[in-house]
Amino acid sequence: MTTPVPSLAAASGWRFFPTRGLVIALTAITVLVPLGLIFYQSLLNAPFFDSQASPGLAAYAFIFDDPDFWDATKNSLIIAGSMALIAVPLGGALAFIMARTDLPGRRWIEPLLLVPVFVSPMVLSFGYVVAAGPVGFYSIWASQLFGTVPWNVYSLPSIAIIAGLTHVPHVYLYSSAALKSLGSDIEEAARMSGAGPLRVALDVSLPMITPALLYSGVLVFFLGFEIFALALVLGDPEGHLVLATYLFKLTNKLGTPSYHLMAAVAVCIIGITFPLVMLQRLLMKNASRFVAVKGKAGRQRPLALGPWRWLAIGLIGLWLFVSVFVPLSGVALRSFVTYWGEGIQLSEVLTLEHFRTVFGQPALMRGIFNTIAIGVIGGLLSVVCYAAIGLAMHRRNDRWSRFIDYLALVPRAVPGLLAGLAFLWVFLFFPPLAPLRTTIFAVWLAYTVVWLAYGMRLIQSSLLQVGPELEEAARSVGASAARTSRDVTLPLIRHGLLASWLLVFMIFEREYSTGVYLLNPGTEVIGSLLVSLWATGGADMVAALSLINVVLVGCGLAIALRFGVKLHD
Amino acid sequence: MQRWIRTLTATVAVTAAALAPVLATPALAQAQAPAGYPADYANLIVAARKEGKVIVYGATDTNAVNPLIKDFEALYPGVRVEYNDMNTTELYNRVVSEKAAGGTSADVLWSSAMDLQIKLVNDGLALAYKSPETPKLPDWSVWKGEAYGVTYEPIVFVYNKRLLKPDEIPHSHADFARLLREKGDRFKGKVTSYDIEKSGVGFMLITQDSKVNPAFWDLAKAVGGVSPRFQSSSGTMMERIGSGENLLGYNVFGSYAMLRAKKDPGIGWVVPTDYVLIMSRVMFIAKTARNPNAAKLWLDYILSKRGQTIIANQSELGSVRADVEGELTAAGLAKTHGNALKPIPVGPSLLAFLDQNKRLEFIKQWQQAMGARK
Repeated sequence: MTTPVPSLAAASGWRFFPTRGLVIALTAITVLVPLGLIFYQSLLNAPFFDSQASPGLAAYAFIFDDPDFWDATKNSLIIAGSMALIAVPLGGALAFIMARTDLPGRRWIEPLLLVPVFVSPMVLSFGYVVAAGPVGFYSIWASQLFGTVPWNVYSLPSIAIIAGLTHVPHVYLYSSAALKSLGSDIEEAARMSGAGPLRVALDVSLPMITPALLYSGVLVFFLGFEIFALALVLGDPEGHLVLATYLFKLTNKLGTPSYHLMAAVAVCIIGITFPLVMLQRLLMKNASRFVAVKGKAGRQRPLALGPWRWLAIGLIGLWLFVSVFVPLSGVALRSFVTYWGEGIQLSEVLTLEHFRTVFGQPALMRGIFNTIAIGVIGGLLSVVCYAAIGLAMHRRNDRWSRFIDYLALVPRAVPGLLAGLAFLWVFLFFPPLAPLRTTIFAVWLAYTVVWLAYGMRLIQSSLLQVGPELEEAARSVGASAARTSRDVTLPLIRHGLLASWLLVFMIFEREYSTGVYLLNPGTEVIGSLLVSLWATGGADMVAALSLINVVLVGCGLAIALRFGVKLHD
Repeated sequence: MQRWIRTLTATVAVTAAALAPVLATPALAQAQAPAGYPADYANLIVAARKEGKVIVYGATDTNAVNPLIKDFEALYPGVRVEYNDMNTTELYNRVVSEKAAGGTSADVLWSSAMDLQIKLVNDGLALAYKSPETPKLPDWSVWKGEAYGVTYEPIVFVYNKRLLKPDEIPHSHADFARLLREKGDRFKGKVTSYDIEKSGVGFMLITQDSKVNPAFWDLAKAVGGVSPRFQSSSGTMMERIGSGENLLGYNVFGSYAMLRAKKDPGIGWVVPTDYVLIMSRVMFIAKTARNPNAAKLWLDYILSKRGQTIIANQSELGSVRADVEGELTAAGLAKTHGNALKPIPVGPSLLAFLDQNKRLEFIKQWQQAMGARK
């Protein structure tokens, strides 16, 4: 039965797979060098390439003395806190309804729930301005109905509410996964003793998944500190700053670039987010331990909602309307009209001019092309990298695996805006890389590092499904570690890899902040173009590009659904 | 093949340059020095053709620059323009960091952030080059024979034509301040201008205002009294004014307003009668230029009557020359607004507010005037 493995093949296996040490070293360098630069820069009193730069704490002294910094910190805390307060109950309720009840049309609703995760926040924010701003499409209809516009999207509470509503899916994902892993016998018992669906949800189901709710609460709170687009677009008119927009503002405040101040703010943000990432990790471990002791994952019988179903459908519909339909319809409408606002008959100003302009401008066309390329080709390359790292850690429970495990979390704590800036520095001042700075490679590398934690989670969840005995069988017949990976592990997880590719594609299409400082002729992607065009007031172009971006993400989503890719792990 | 073509082009150019005075046919006259230029200018043209291209970093929209590039390339075949469009901060950061890193950089820098451009020139990044067009340019637009202001853009008020009553349209800064004081409720949240902390250009305009207008801080208080909405660019301001979300825009580039008004009939603009700030995009040649001859050719072309005519009529940026006609040009505005015109001088006075302490102090004072906002 057993055929001895020719040593030649084993040797060639090494040529196909980078050795473990190399993978670990490369990962460590790409993650730690940019981060190190940020720390180093924050401890200087001038840009690090300035000949007059000398070490000191002046940058920290400046920002701690700036009332705007404290204002931004306060707003960030308020937004992050309200996001958790809004997203956790709604996400939990949504998970209960979707996973436990007989709500009609669940299969249709499920993919829609995830749309806010994959639509660029820049697109959403812009959508809210044109749809629900003071003279937005919906605001005008509302004022015709009620006489005034009953909301103000530029206020801090509005920003917090929108941020909360768009993060409901994050909570939903973790809670529904937790609920699905539990049997429904306890709930049925409660139901039989006469409890209504609401009572079952509040007193039985949700308490059972407390760890998942807690974990996703921390996640959403943490994501609150990364909010950039919403605050940039909606916070501008009334001057509401958050930490990320404060940092962006510092680019110009002193007239000349104040990289040291920006780096100091960055270190402060990391100081808040890194502990949160660590806390998540801790909760994740405890969560799985907690879930493991909960009864056997038995049969799940959906709970009959009865008349409650209309309420449930209404709530989900309202949420989808506010957080998906309103902004996206706003973007779509804006991209087809010349101008808009009070006293304008929309049917008279319809145009395709914006798309013609986009297609006529080489920079914008490059942006669209690059965006597709970075999603398709870049996404594939990133998955290859993530898989290489995943395999380097696979079934090795040593110091190095733990090191990589923590390393992957580090970029998670760095907001994309900053990661992009740090990579710009790396490309500028590391001569061998300099020629690549104005190529899309620079953006791809930054994206890959920024989304390292996400990618690793996708790969690891695939790897976990491979039983160890298959690999052990290969090893026992003499295959090297590399050959085992190539001939056993990789073929087994190929579907997982394909699914990861698709998910990374969508995440890369959506990304916007990482490319902002890397934007150059040649490195345009739709995300960074949106930020740049928004700043210079090219709203026509922003609308057209946003719609194109939504279409690209939509294609990814359609393919995912067609092939039954699970949109979450 | 390519090199062969280049050599051939160069040879043709040299031959043409030599024969031009004799033949003087239109096709060959291209290598001849333009009228009024020194005789050896033909050598510069030949050298520029050898370089083959000029790399420009610019903060002006590609759409506005394209007609200039097309005409330049038609005038001097064999010299390509590589135009890199970026915003003013990016431009400055890129130049400074490329200088520090010692890599490739631009030949010509062209930006509306006049103060940052002057800082770069002051820091010794510019090549001294006295353009043969200098005698045709106003004194305020040239500094040290290095930096040249190449456009003429009045700063105007912009308003929403549908929603602002004709008698509310401000015609001077004093009008504007009075309107806001008298109709505070109507204009609450309806006035927009630059966020001076985010926009370097906005900051520069406000500081110029404070120099020119003795009643500036009264005006600032009037603006602060109506909870103004601040944006980081003229475009964003006009989007909000066009939609009716805001009614009045303060310190908007006239060039952009005119372009926008052509597309959106809801946008109106006024050149103030008491004083008009004039902004001029500053261009200079980098000391480290790899294609210095092509760069000189480009700068001279932009300043020439031919280039300025395109700037005024196709790019809609306004000509700085007195001999180019048009509504929003130096010549046109001199007829209608005469003494009220206050061009921002291209020179070291722009450096004052780049001093960190002075800048922060001004921002603080401005924020206090905006006090009612928060």
